[in-house]
Amino acid sequence: MSMHTSHRRRFGVTSAGLLGLAVLAIVLPFGLNAGQLTTATFVLIAAIGALGLNVLTGYTGQISLGHAFFLAVGAYTAGVLGGNDHLTALIWLPAAGVVAALCGALVGPTALRLRGLYLAIVTIGLVFIGQHIWFNVPAISGGPGGRSFPAVAFGPFDFSAGQQLTIGGLVIDHNGLYYYLALIILAAAMLFVWNLVRGRPGRAMQAVRDREIAAAIMGVDLARTKMSAFVISSFLTGVSGALYASYLSFATPGQWSVLLSVQYVAAIIVGGIGTVWGALLGSIVIFALPAVLQSLIPQSSSGGLPIDDLTSIAYGVLIIVFFVLEPHGIVGLGRRVASLWSRIGLRPGKGGGLSQEAQSIENRSEATWAG
Amino acid sequence: MTPSTTPMLEVRDLALRFGSVTAFEDLTFDVGRGELFAVIGPNGAGKTSLFNVLSRAYVPTAGSVRFDGADLLRLRVSALAGAGVARTFQNLGLFGELTVLENVLIGRHHLMRSGTLRSGLWLGYARREERRHRAAAMEALEFAGIGRHAHVPTGTLPFGIQKRVEIARALAMEPKLMLLDEPVAGMSVAEREEITALVRRLHHERDLTLLLVEHDMGMVMRIAQRVLVLDFGRIIAIGTPAEVQRDERVIRAYLGEELEPALAEAPR
Ligand SMILES: Nc1ncnc2c1ncn2[C@@H]1O[C@H](COP(=O)(O)OP(=O)(O)OP(=O)(O)O)[C@@H](O)[C@H]1O
Ligand SMILES: [Mg+2]
Repeated sequence: MSMHTSHRRRFGVTSAGLLGLAVLAIVLPFGLNAGQLTTATFVLIAAIGALGLNVLTGYTGQISLGHAFFLAVGAYTAGVLGGNDHLTALIWLPAAGVVAALCGALVGPTALRLRGLYLAIVTIGLVFIGQHIWFNVPAISGGPGGRSFPAVAFGPFDFSAGQQLTIGGLVIDHNGLYYYLALIILAAAMLFVWNLVRGRPGRAMQAVRDREIAAAIMGVDLARTKMSAFVISSFLTGVSGALYASYLSFATPGQWSVLLSVQYVAAIIVGGIGTVWGALLGSIVIFALPAVLQSLIPQSSSGGLPIDDLTSIAYGVLIIVFFVLEPHGIVGLGRRVASLWSRIGLRPGKGGGLSQEAQSIENRSEATWAG
Repeated sequence: MTPSTTPMLEVRDLALRFGSVTAFEDLTFDVGRGELFAVIGPNGAGKTSLFNVLSRAYVPTAGSVRFDGADLLRLRVSALAGAGVARTFQNLGLFGELTVLENVLIGRHHLMRSGTLRSGLWLGYARREERRHRAAAMEALEFAGIGRHAHVPTGTLPFGIQKRVEIARALAMEPKLMLLDEPVAGMSVAEREEITALVRRLHHERDLTLLLVEHDMGMVMRIAQRVLVLDFGRIIAIGTPAEVQRDERVIRAYLGEELEPALAEAPR
């Protein structure tokens, strides 16, 4: 059947694309200056957290604005275990995920009682409670003045500023080391989530998102499903927060504000709600934006708006544009282009007939009335 | 184990009220093993509400339900699938963003075991389990005649196909009792014939007890073994299709509409 060959061809194209992307990601640091590499590293670190948010909000439909809280929990776990107790990153990095996941497990049950906006509001509350703790418990956070965070070090491999690794003539500096570490963790996390959402637990999450009652009647345990979404999400977010703080090397309690949560929500909206790649694509747009604007706009134009305000406006515009025009974000745009492409390539007469995606687009107009 | 003579479903004095609105009351009836049992009645008679109680979506105000000899009302909603009850929805209960195959696989959720770690790490167990259940889900899709739509996002399909996806999903759950809420509503004559044949095959080939809610009297009278007639939430008749069609109260409830086959074009 032609369906098989087209499936196989798509598989080939996908593998080739992934390979190309992997190569690009690996050589990228050698083509960037220090400032750009720093931005790229922050993007990758943030993408791990955005992926976590996409599991919870995108795939399971639980709207959360509490992301800043879980990032902070991860960061301060790293700070306390790595900085105060001088434990190795092999311990504090996973521990940051685990402690955040435990917090997620504590918050999870509220999602069983609250839905939609109510859950969003409660999770904002979490950020405020967190900030109260961060400002008032210096042993964790260093108090209002902030604290320093440990650099990643695995035995002899030290990621501190000034350190570098030389492999066969290639020099990888502090920024590069963080870049590759974040890249590896992100790739592993994306693979995990990819498997998850194509398997039994991820299907259950999406069913809960689309129709909770119907999902329960099909045998999906709502409590369990929401709980595991919270746990997976906050684990990834905790790891992201720990890496972020470690790379920053210093953070104040004020940084873990609702605004940070909003940035992550913006990232998954722009990149693609409920998609694995959307977390990365959205993070590129949202977290590289300030640096890009900074480099585009000359320093001298002091009469204009400050970069921060420009960035906020750009976030707002992006969120609105994507919500209204393409709810599936950049990934959705890509899918449209791909299905348009296969529609052109498989015109009847050329022997193909419509591809399934093209067919489903055809059917979309018919199906709207069915709700 | 329960002797095979116990009815599949024993409903006793069942009532459901929403504040002052009574959806139904005093419902007492049995559904035998392997029976194709229809529930009919005018709009608002309480048919869907009855299904909602039987699938544990609503908690009844009074009464009891025994399913396969055990107290159905002690089960949690999500335990129902495992106990052997499957249903379809009048207004579709599909997961629009998932593909047709994935929707049917959700029906097999309770038959699968892979959790977060086994699936996320894509371990051998999860892979094998997934392959096995995909094959079973495909089989259910083929049974319902919609195998070729397996990989299409469900929400983009026409209503008639989506209704079949619901039946395939319910079948894939491997239930003992299947509740079908208006499977042919909103369909063309040709589609109605196909679904009628499909329900018949479900009944004959799959060892199922079927509870069918339907406005299409032609269909009901042709395939049901017994019919229960609800009006304003009360049972006004129960019996074979022939008995029910002759019943005075039934004729009156349908307000002069003739209870001949082909009566009642479903009013939606
Ligand atoms: N969640 C609810 N809250 C309040 N009233 C309800 C609810 N669900 C059903 N009802 C009421 O219960 C009664 C029975 O409704 P139900 O949907 O069971 O009727 P039905 O027999 O399925 O009708 P139809 O043939 O139109 O599908 C109606 O009066 C309806 O308004
Ligand atoms: Mg109804």
